[in-house]
Amino acid sequence: MQHRLSPDDAAFQQKMREFFTSKVPQDLRDRWAAGGEPDPDDIRTAQRILNAEGLAVPHWPVEYGGSDWSMLQRHIYLQEMQAASVPPPLAFNANMVGPVIAAFGSTEQKDRFLPPTANLDIWWCQGFSEPDAGSDLASLRTTAVRDGDEWVVNGQKTWTTLGQHADWIFALVRTDPDAPKKQMGISFLLIEMSTPGVDIRPIQLIDGGHEVNEVFFDNVRVPADQLVGEVNKGWDYAKFLLGNERVGVAPVGSIKRKLAEAKEHAGSVQTDTGTLLDDPLLAARIAELEAQVMALELTVLRVAANSREGKPDPASSTLKLRGSQLQQDVLELIVDIAGPAGLAWGDDSWTGLAAPTYLNFRKASIYGGSNEVQRQVISSGILGLKG
Amino acid sequence: MDFSIDSEQKALRDAVRELAARRAPQHGEGDVPVGPAPHDPDTWSALAEVGALGLPFAEDAGGLGASAVEVSLVATELGHAGVQTAYADALVAGSVLAAASSDLLSSLVDGSALVVPALAEPGRGWSLASSSVHASGSGDSWTLTGSKGPVPYADAATHLVVPAAADGGLALFLVEAPSFADGIATFDGSAATQLVGPADGATALAAAVNLGIIAVCSEALGAMDAASTMTFDYLKTRKQFGVPLMTFQTLTQRAADMYVSLELARSTTLFAAMAIADDPGDSATASRAKVVVGQSGRHIGQEAIQLHGGIGMTAEYAVGHFTTRLTAIERTYGDTRQHLASLASSLSDHDQVDVLA
Repeated sequence: MQHRLSPDDAAFQQKMREFFTSKVPQDLRDRWAAGGEPDPDDIRTAQRILNAEGLAVPHWPVEYGGSDWSMLQRHIYLQEMQAASVPPPLAFNANMVGPVIAAFGSTEQKDRFLPPTANLDIWWCQGFSEPDAGSDLASLRTTAVRDGDEWVVNGQKTWTTLGQHADWIFALVRTDPDAPKKQMGISFLLIEMSTPGVDIRPIQLIDGGHEVNEVFFDNVRVPADQLVGEVNKGWDYAKFLLGNERVGVAPVGSIKRKLAEAKEHAGSVQTDTGTLLDDPLLAARIAELEAQVMALELTVLRVAANSREGKPDPASSTLKLRGSQLQQDVLELIVDIAGPAGLAWGDDSWTGLAAPTYLNFRKASIYGGSNEVQRQVISSGILGLKG
Repeated sequence: MDFSIDSEQKALRDAVRELAARRAPQHGEGDVPVGPAPHDPDTWSALAEVGALGLPFAEDAGGLGASAVEVSLVATELGHAGVQTAYADALVAGSVLAAASSDLLSSLVDGSALVVPALAEPGRGWSLASSSVHASGSGDSWTLTGSKGPVPYADAATHLVVPAAADGGLALFLVEAPSFADGIATFDGSAATQLVGPADGATALAAAVNLGIIAVCSEALGAMDAASTMTFDYLKTRKQFGVPLMTFQTLTQRAADMYVSLELARSTTLFAAMAIADDPGDSATASRAKVVVGQSGRHIGQEAIQLHGGIGMTAEYAVGHFTTRLTAIERTYGDTRQHLASLASSLSDHDQVDVLA
């Protein structure tokens, strides 16, 4: 056992830290650190700076811009990126559609889509969830019917995150309604958002922000060469993608940064006897969260060491579950520290953002497979408890 | 960062696993004793024989020159089998003897002396900073006044290591053949030998207790692992309403949460063992591990009983014994409250907790 970084990994960490803090503009990182509605131009700018350095899509195959890093190095990369408040490469591009096209797409699709996906010249959004197919994704009903060299798509997607900025959507569509099991008969289709018949409408959320959308498809004609892999094999690709999604799914670096900010905030709020940081109840809560976040990070590192060939360890559900809980705990702490000042919303100060951010991140235990689904994965997949 | 163990460590683990299996309490037959177990000389000499008692001490002091990591492997196996011993206590005492270059360490390592620390005090919360026992004297002639307790394994101990207030701070003393009543040692001008003077007493005691924390956290890890596995197996086999318990989602969801607590405690314990092996004085890491393990042990122990139902309450079934031990461990070498209070008082020392530093 060895708890220090090897000299190579320590040098790697130093290199990442230097890059993120010196090459990504401070004002951009400050805006990202403050939270609130993300600026799409900041996300584009950051991803292009990373891509120019070969750091936007490190877990892709090397020939398409990936890096041959160990899981530990990937953790260090993410940790340093989050610690420096650099907007991460857009997950829909870097973690979802990119790896699927790289693994299952045709050569033409790889050449056409991967470079602009890595550089965020195409902004992708995800068309998986539907009004009646959330955690039960296999129940999706959006159809694609083959007509000559095209697919004709009809249906509705929902919870489409940042879809208002997207150029393309990758969607799961039902191509065989008569398949014997509902997981079969689903295909993975790439659709340009500007295609006639695609309509996007915002969903307003409780934090007041516009983060997610509904996307409607009304006889949308999609060229047949935009179907990825084989017809009716979309479920396999989606599973591959969702497996990728859980890698690095515990945002340890962000949680730690927020917790450090919470301490700073607590030290700035006066009480009858000093500051909130001297309040024994609050200080104990912070100390407890620091211990729990440490336990999470160590588990991330232990799981990372066990993951081989980029295949996610099933224990990654543990990280999603605990990561979302701790992320929520820290944001809850910050609203509590803001106290009465948190009642006023609307400006970009930490007190003004505390309550909306807390409310916004109630999503963390719902998206990407709800925490109940993660517990199900753990109990059946790891513990062998099958009801 | 590497959590894997090498072949020598595996061999040690396997030897202790076998020893622990042989020494494990047998449940399910007749009257089963509950609560703290008495000292068992046979188990103790078996531990001495595999070298477990000397692991973290330097070879020239009569130890094996291994580290807290090896201690952790041993204690995990003991905890998993439900074997209760003075292992952690002896290591705390041994660590003080090693700091004092005491000849007694070799007797501790070979199992002929049972030396335990007397740390708790009647009517006082946990503290390593002060003591109500007072020392007076100088050179080779010291006496102690006051009382300590409860002291685990008091009735079997040949010697005590006692922290006491001396001129200039906390000093550490050795008391031979102590006398006890109900686990409380009372010193009434009792003769003692100074092991570590007031200049270094607090530091030596903190390092010793950090090693003890690694040992009890690891024992708890073993106990949590065993209690969890028993519970998961029970959910698979036990039928109610004509179907296995695992058919009920409320139970499997709670089992998943037990698993999460277990895995986080595992990562933390292994890391803390490595950190203490590297820096015995790293009390912040020891405290964080104690907090995580204390809370996990409480969660897993409570759920293990609840998911078993009535059978979990019975003395003839092992799961309650694991919970009993976890309850004791959370209150050994500082409880969760005290460790949180200590961490809370030093929040401003750091911006973030950096495990990769």
